[in-house]
Amino acid sequence: MRIRNLWHDFDWALFGAILVLSVISLIEIYSATKNSPAEHSAAFRQLVWIIIGIVILFTIAAMDYHTISEQIPWLYLAGIGVLIYTMALGRIVSGSRSWIVLGPMRFQPSELVKIIVIVAVARYLSELRNVRYVNLEQIVKASLICGIPIALVALQPDLGTTITFLPILGFGLLVRGVKPATLVVLIVLFVLALPVAWTFLGQHQKDRIINFVHPENDLKGSGYQVYQSKIAIGSGGALGKGIFKGSQNQLGFLPTRHTDFILSVVGEEMGFAGVGLTLGLLGFILFRAVNTAQTARDELGLFTAMGVFGIYFFHVLENVGMVIGFMPMTGIPLPFMSYGGSSIIAAFTAMGLVISVRRRRYVN
Amino acid sequence: MQFRDELELLRSRISILTYGVVAILCVLVFGFWKLQVVQSTHYADLAQRNSIKEIRLVASRGKIYDRNHKILADNRPSYNILYLRNEHTPHTVEETVGMLVDGLGMSVEDLTQKINRKRKDAAYQPIMLKEDAGVGDVAFVLAHAYEMPEVSVEYQPRRLYREGELAAHALGYIGEVSEAQLRDSPDLQPRDQVGVRGLELVYDAVLRGKDGSRRVVVNNSGREIETLPDEIQPIAGHDLFTTLDLDLQKAAEDEIGDRVGAAVVLDPRTGEILALVSRPSFDPNHFTSGISATEFKRLNDDPDKPFQNRAISSMQPPGSIFKIFEAAAALESETVTPLDTVHCAGSTTLYGKSFGCWKPAGHGNVDMYEAIVNSCDVYFYNLGNILGIDRISKFSTIAGLGRKTGVDLPGEDAGLIPSQEWSQRVKRMKWAPIETIFVSIGQGKIGVTPIQAAWAMGGLASGGHLKQPRLVQPEQLRKLDFDAPPIRIEEYPIHEDTVAIIAKAMWGVVNDGGTGAHARVEGFDVAGKTGTAQTVNKSSYKKGGENEDHAWFVGFAPYRNPEIVVAVLIEHGGHGGEAAAPVAQAVLSAYYKKKTGHFNDVTAEKVAGLMSTKP
Repeated sequence: MRIRNLWHDFDWALFGAILVLSVISLIEIYSATKNSPAEHSAAFRQLVWIIIGIVILFTIAAMDYHTISEQIPWLYLAGIGVLIYTMALGRIVSGSRSWIVLGPMRFQPSELVKIIVIVAVARYLSELRNVRYVNLEQIVKASLICGIPIALVALQPDLGTTITFLPILGFGLLVRGVKPATLVVLIVLFVLALPVAWTFLGQHQKDRIINFVHPENDLKGSGYQVYQSKIAIGSGGALGKGIFKGSQNQLGFLPTRHTDFILSVVGEEMGFAGVGLTLGLLGFILFRAVNTAQTARDELGLFTAMGVFGIYFFHVLENVGMVIGFMPMTGIPLPFMSYGGSSIIAAFTAMGLVISVRRRRYVN
Repeated sequence: MQFRDELELLRSRISILTYGVVAILCVLVFGFWKLQVVQSTHYADLAQRNSIKEIRLVASRGKIYDRNHKILADNRPSYNILYLRNEHTPHTVEETVGMLVDGLGMSVEDLTQKINRKRKDAAYQPIMLKEDAGVGDVAFVLAHAYEMPEVSVEYQPRRLYREGELAAHALGYIGEVSEAQLRDSPDLQPRDQVGVRGLELVYDAVLRGKDGSRRVVVNNSGREIETLPDEIQPIAGHDLFTTLDLDLQKAAEDEIGDRVGAAVVLDPRTGEILALVSRPSFDPNHFTSGISATEFKRLNDDPDKPFQNRAISSMQPPGSIFKIFEAAAALESETVTPLDTVHCAGSTTLYGKSFGCWKPAGHGNVDMYEAIVNSCDVYFYNLGNILGIDRISKFSTIAGLGRKTGVDLPGEDAGLIPSQEWSQRVKRMKWAPIETIFVSIGQGKIGVTPIQAAWAMGGLASGGHLKQPRLVQPEQLRKLDFDAPPIRIEEYPIHEDTVAIIAKAMWGVVNDGGTGAHARVEGFDVAGKTGTAQTVNKSSYKKGGENEDHAWFVGFAPYRNPEIVVAVLIEHGGHGGEAAAPVAQAVLSAYYKKKTGHFNDVTAEKVAGLMSTKP
């Protein structure tokens, strides 16, 4: 693949959307952290991550996704290995042993493992030929491919990241085809598993869910954070209070505002207009992934783009839903917006995959 | 072709999924639209309340001074711990209370009750958790400002009655505004301190300042980031300069001590009250930070009624001090001459009943001077009988007895001077002449308050000039732009001779072997009259008991053109000359020492000595 072709085939619209989001992100991360000495270099570090992300995006986009798919067995094993390493020797951050430290950098391996799982699931599903619906054995196999890393992440324990893996499997299987009867059984099994899963939850996770179901406890714990987020967003109004002028943000009433609640900062300082632009760009990116899936030249490309879509659709749904109180609180970042190297690198890598698929959408 | 078809099938499934995705994204955008467009004013208000705190700047109350600019009621800095209900907090009331119990050293019940009592008030009104908190409490709250945004500290200048119990009944005290007062007065706000009794109540509008406010921007840990420019400075209340003389007040209170009684000291020339004593007293400082229920109950249930201002509300039969007014009434009506004598054989029989003199052996032939000096009852039985109740009543009422003096204090009693008309109107029976005989020695259906006694005595001694007694002169209030009617001045006709005869006789009471010898002040011509009023039938009383006589003394000095008049009542104190006269003596000698420059041992020699040490 020559560079000239890459230049020609590259999805500049998608890349442009990512760049605009990155600019909004950098502005609001700076705004959210400029008063806090411990985080004052966050915007700069985010910029560095974005630049690294762009390089990775172009690299992946330049590669043939089939080539990546061929490397999946050892990539998958390497991912599992890193997760086990993390579990054993990782850094504990807010209760989860989910970080590893490489020199000056801290990294969350589970974010990159997501990408590996996307490709691994895509490869498995794309190799099922001449079937209208998957059978039970295939469901179990696909679940295992997805399930092993999920289990390792769940044991860290990082529940928020764990559930972000599920859409890869869910969307993949749905598109691959699940018999209506099987779907019903799966849903029933899922519902039955909930009480079991509940017992594995930590107290603060239970609280978050209880508070979501019972908003009358609104001013307690996580409800308090969502409440402050709603105040920030609502008080921003249509056009916002102005960059660096959001009182909820600048005076510290917003919780984790440069990471999980970055959209609240956008809402407060840039108003409905800023949120609309952000959601519009995120929506554009998501639909670009869907469109790429629909126009992919083969099943591998289709399932790869679908996996990317599934995982980031879920991120957007959960994060955006959370900041306005529509979803329970979890620590899931907003792609391209929240501060954090791992999620930025993962998102740029995923977009690189989408572009790689998209470049080859025309049948030769 | 199989390959193509399969891909087409998968693609069709993706199309279905996209509709769901569009729907969900629409819901999310709707969520933002609702928050940011529909409800944005509501949230803007919440955001502002998050970050902008209004701080009440409590105005300091005006100070109260005595006539020599000595401070009686001062202010001291203090802090309150408040519970802010409109603050966004992660805690329930119970959790907040739980966190405060140890820090403030208060019980869960106490704190909960304080919050529950005000629960129905508007949410923006802070609830007082601890008034006049200690340094430790304040430090605790400030240290936990981040965890407990709902608890805050407020600065408040607080009343300090420098002299404690001294002049407590004149000063009164303050307390938190009542709900009824809040309804009636738009100026008042919850938690305002207002006067409850005494001068604090009467001159509340003068003393009370106007609170200011300051709005500050705070961050999430409650730290003030900036002050908004719309600060309203508190306006301090006006200082009040009373006519009281702390030295005379102290002299009277010390002399009365633990006994139950009252004293009023006036300047008859101006109506200024120099001292106003009621014992037992109470410490008004108890009320400045919320008196405890048990302490209040103790004071309120005390049989000696420490809250009662006896100086203006203890109405008692005047006993022999009434003889002064009766004598004056007789002279003015020209019923008798000063030289007319009555023979006192120890008792006299009138209307078929024998009336005894206090001296069973009798005084022999007494004229008016001797009758007053020795307080001869038989003389006054006969004088009263000749005068009749209406002449006695008319004169003493004009002279200032049996009606309110108009002192600038709440709760004054009118007292009682009986008349035939009064008997018909109130008792619905004809006045029996024999009742006049009792009244003529200040017994029976007659009641006088100490302030009336002082006022009427001063008026008589200064030739019929009655100046409304005042603790604060109206001129002072007018200077502060308050409406204040001038003091009421009454003049009644009285012959100079009458005044001279009475004054001379009263001088004799103190200085010529009379019953008031204990009121004598060397060098100061004190005139006075003792009174010993029976409270019940003489046969059943025992000394010091609740049936013992009330002791009275009224006096003035100098006996011509008096500058000072004193009335003393010691309830159940025994003999007026023994129990009450020494109180007057203490006051008058303190006054005389001040006047002649010998008070507090600051003698001329001492001053000279001090000056000579200077180069």
